[in-house]
Amino acid sequence: MKRKLCFLIAGVLLFGAAASAHHAFNAEYDANKSMRWTGTVTKVEWTNPHARFYIDVKDANGVVTNWNFEMGSTVQLRRQGWTRDSLKLGDQITVDGYPAKDGAKMASAKKVILADGHSVFSETPTDARPADSNHQ
Amino acid sequence: MRYRPSIIPLASVGRVAICTALAVCFAFSQGNGGAITGKVIDQDGAAVSGALVQAKNLSSNTIYKATSTASGDYRFEALPPGAYEISLPLLGYNAAPQNVLIEPAHAARADIRIADTSLNTAGEDRSFFAARNGTHATPKGPAPRTRDGKPDLSGVWWPPRIVEPIEPSLLPRAAAIVKEWVATNAKGLPSARCLPNSVGLLGVIDINKLVQTPTLLVILYQVDPADYRQVYLDGREHPKDLDPTWKGHSIGKWEGDTLVVDTIGFNDKSWITDTLPALYPHTEMLHLTSRLRRPDLGHLEMDVTFDDPVSFAKPWTMKTVSDLAQGEEVQEWICNENNQDAEHLVGR
Repeated sequence: MKRKLCFLIAGVLLFGAAASAHHAFNAEYDANKSMRWTGTVTKVEWTNPHARFYIDVKDANGVVTNWNFEMGSTVQLRRQGWTRDSLKLGDQITVDGYPAKDGAKMASAKKVILADGHSVFSETPTDARPADSNHQ
Repeated sequence: MRYRPSIIPLASVGRVAICTALAVCFAFSQGNGGAITGKVIDQDGAAVSGALVQAKNLSSNTIYKATSTASGDYRFEALPPGAYEISLPLLGYNAAPQNVLIEPAHAARADIRIADTSLNTAGEDRSFFAARNGTHATPKGPAPRTRDGKPDLSGVWWPPRIVEPIEPSLLPRAAAIVKEWVATNAKGLPSARCLPNSVGLLGVIDINKLVQTPTLLVILYQVDPADYRQVYLDGREHPKDLDPTWKGHSIGKWEGDTLVVDTIGFNDKSWITDTLPALYPHTEMLHLTSRLRRPDLGHLEMDVTFDDPVSFAKPWTMKTVSDLAQGEEVQEWICNENNQDAEHLVGR
């Protein structure tokens, strides 16, 4: 009954992703399952429609799985001051995000935090790692 | 996707239980009207500002509107007692409507938790989009003019903002399509496969660059609806027997300082995303009439009338304003270079 009410009231599809709307977030990622991963950056793809980065995540048994994270487009990231060098291979990072619904080792990244606590790709470039970071 | 309202629907709950179930239920002495207050928050508990909240009296169908503040708070006052449905009618942040019963001279509380996480993707946070889709600082001054005395619409523009609420009335065929889109979480959105979205002259996802000559207006899109569009200003008519295309065929004529553009010849494959967050289908019958004005240096106004007698009971008009995007430039966008989403779009 609640679902029907929802549809009747709206009468239309209210598509929350006013954001990129490149694709429907909820058709791909599980919005109810916020997760956290920690791992090492193995690849950064500075591409459209989404920039991506990949990390090796080690579980309690030492088994390593590579996860694929999606971010905004490079156009949008550049506007906020991020560049293709903002995340470096070998960075130890923590990622908060939402996993793919189909079980693929893919997720949409919400927050990316470096080992020193700085955020990357967030909305506040002042969170950026210092220009002369000693992190190589 | 299941919606989980934060308040139990009250249709069958008794009066005393209502006051117990609500977070706050207190009396205030101003007349007999009641009040509803609450906070709009996201999945992480952060405040959502600028959300249009609607309270609809379920007996009279009277609609009251309020907007959430910077702290996410909203308030309705002096409401006639009765049952109300609280919802976010325009923003579509996947918040299930809630029913609230208003007692005379009492206040009820209804917090609204939205479940839209797409605005929290790294690099595409809510505050980034609030900034981009909101108003921008623009230079002052009169609109530039071309050598033949027309307003020059050339420039790079932020996406259009809808400035008046719209409510197209869908015919059954279109309503059934929308229902299927809801059921599948819009997994069929063409742009997920790097195909064009939206039908209007101005893309709604990112900046648009207009290049105006006396005989041609070229629109370059950062993202949507496709790479470019041509609006012919040389007096030609639409060709007879057009092959339907994603962006149709556009011709423009000046009426004083307003450029009136007529677009027909659409295929039925794109989705109307010009009205985000609302989405609508259309058919090959879609006929757009767009009126563009540059009232001053920093603003581009566009009114678009959507006419599709197979989809909508009557034509409807959307009024938008775009701000000049100083310092911005359209970048190359090759959607297919790394599109990995398509095969993972499962829907529900």
